[in-house]
Amino acid sequence: MFGLIGHLTNLDHAQRVARDLGYPEYADQGVEFWASAPPQIVDEITVTSVTGQVIEGKYVESCFLPEMLAARRFKTAARKVLNAMAHAQKNGINISALGGFTSIIFENFELAKLPQVRDVTLDFSRFTTGNTHTAYIICRQVEDSLRQLNLDPARTTVAVVGATGDIGSAVCRWLDARLGVGELILTARNRERLENLQAELGRGKILDLEAALPEADVIVWVASMPKGVEIEASSLRHPCVLIDGGYPKNLGSKLQREGIHVLNGGIVEHSLDIPWHIMGIAQMENPARQMFACFAEAMLLDFEGWHTNFSWGRNQITVAKMDQIGEASVRHGFRPLTLSL
Amino acid sequence: MLQLEASLELDFQSEAYKDAYSRINAIVIEGEQEAYDNYLQLAEMLPDHQAELVKLSKMELKHMKGFQACGRNLSVTPDMAFAKDFFQQLHQNFQDAAATGKLVTCLLIQALIIECFAIAAYNIYIPVADDFARKITEGVVKDEYLHRNFGEVWLQANFAEAKAELEAANKQNLPLVWKMLNRVADDARQLGMEKEALVEDFMIAYGEALSSIGFSTPEIMRMSAHGLAAA
Repeated sequence: MFGLIGHLTNLDHAQRVARDLGYPEYADQGVEFWASAPPQIVDEITVTSVTGQVIEGKYVESCFLPEMLAARRFKTAARKVLNAMAHAQKNGINISALGGFTSIIFENFELAKLPQVRDVTLDFSRFTTGNTHTAYIICRQVEDSLRQLNLDPARTTVAVVGATGDIGSAVCRWLDARLGVGELILTARNRERLENLQAELGRGKILDLEAALPEADVIVWVASMPKGVEIEASSLRHPCVLIDGGYPKNLGSKLQREGIHVLNGGIVEHSLDIPWHIMGIAQMENPARQMFACFAEAMLLDFEGWHTNFSWGRNQITVAKMDQIGEASVRHGFRPLTLSL
Repeated sequence: MLQLEASLELDFQSEAYKDAYSRINAIVIEGEQEAYDNYLQLAEMLPDHQAELVKLSKMELKHMKGFQACGRNLSVTPDMAFAKDFFQQLHQNFQDAAATGKLVTCLLIQALIIECFAIAAYNIYIPVADDFARKITEGVVKDEYLHRNFGEVWLQANFAEAKAELEAANKQNLPLVWKMLNRVADDARQLGMEKEALVEDFMIAYGEALSSIGFSTPEIMRMSAHGLAAA
């Protein structure tokens, strides 16, 4: 059995969902209430592979809200993630993906050091960040977009914003090794990490955001949008592909201009409908088939019987592992979301 | 890298800590005493389970002695008058239910609400307790899960007949829990225990119990949050 651990986009969204699902006790309540609310399994899911194999899963709502991070209520955020993980494990879920901010919280606050949650000792082999599949899907989206726009990878400049993160560094490795892009621009906040990545890759131009964006044919955005950053559409190349792999995905609404193609990054589409509620709640365009690639990783691991923390720790994602999860992804009928031109 | 707030430096010998401890420690002692009495009363109401319930009640008495030792270890005199008043309404509800033979209500109050309250408080207390109290509390919390289990098993076996009364008893008694938590929120914080964590842990423990008894997730979400927003 697979599990998906997720959360809602913000307080407004949470209140709306609670009302729609018929939980008046949860609707109309502020962040304070959600900070005390326990994790819940709110969806049971059956997924069929194109091979015919069928698996069962559960969606665990952590009741974490991004407002808790904005208010620097880090203890609350950490507790939400650990409690949701304990809930998944107690319910016998073999492999759960940590969706949205939950894997970021887990990594940043080093929650691996806190495996004891009440009467549950967390078994971390039952969890995956899903980042390997997310990185693989983003890379395939870069590849597909270039093909759609008749751009030659060898003559293309790709900027990776958030290059030193777990997903960003994996994307850089793949773009270098598998796609052979002409120029790779590395952008992130931490200079030392950037230099380490550049040394590892043996290539890559380190630029800050303002300098990087106008040079790129493809921008892979895998950092969360910091407050106050505005991208000036007129400064971008035409055409320019912007793959929004950050969380939350909000670049599309900010950049609407002829020749700029914004694609929701790290989203997959399954070949068969999945009867569930949560992706409608996650505001996917085609909720019966689309989902976050990190969630799909838990499904793939369950299909393959790889009940192990496939994606774990920081900057451990190799091209070989991306190949491995990518083959499983194709085998079971998942496809990267592509540009609609 | 983001950092969790540095954990509060607790001075177990400070006057502020000991003052708060005098009430929290008293509540725990009184809670175990109430539990002892309640299980003996339940033993009379459930003659088939008498031996088991008497055994549970004796465990509660042992816990009470352990927590009295925790107070002595910090040279704190528990404020038992405060604790009696703290439990008064819940105590009264149990007595009223017992007097009218409402076994299901009695089980909900003792085996679910009081046990889950204890489980939550002990689990949140353990990481911030002094060494002496931590060892004692770790032993106690394991027992409390067993006690909750007794109520769960009985109510699960009698779920169809008990369901309506459980819902009514939940409505009557859960708002009291939130009031009780509010009343000691400041003292608990002084001991390093956050109210929101206590509430969440209570809802987790209580939700687990309701789930094993047979309630559905939507029912659990509704029941376990009853009255919380108004508290």
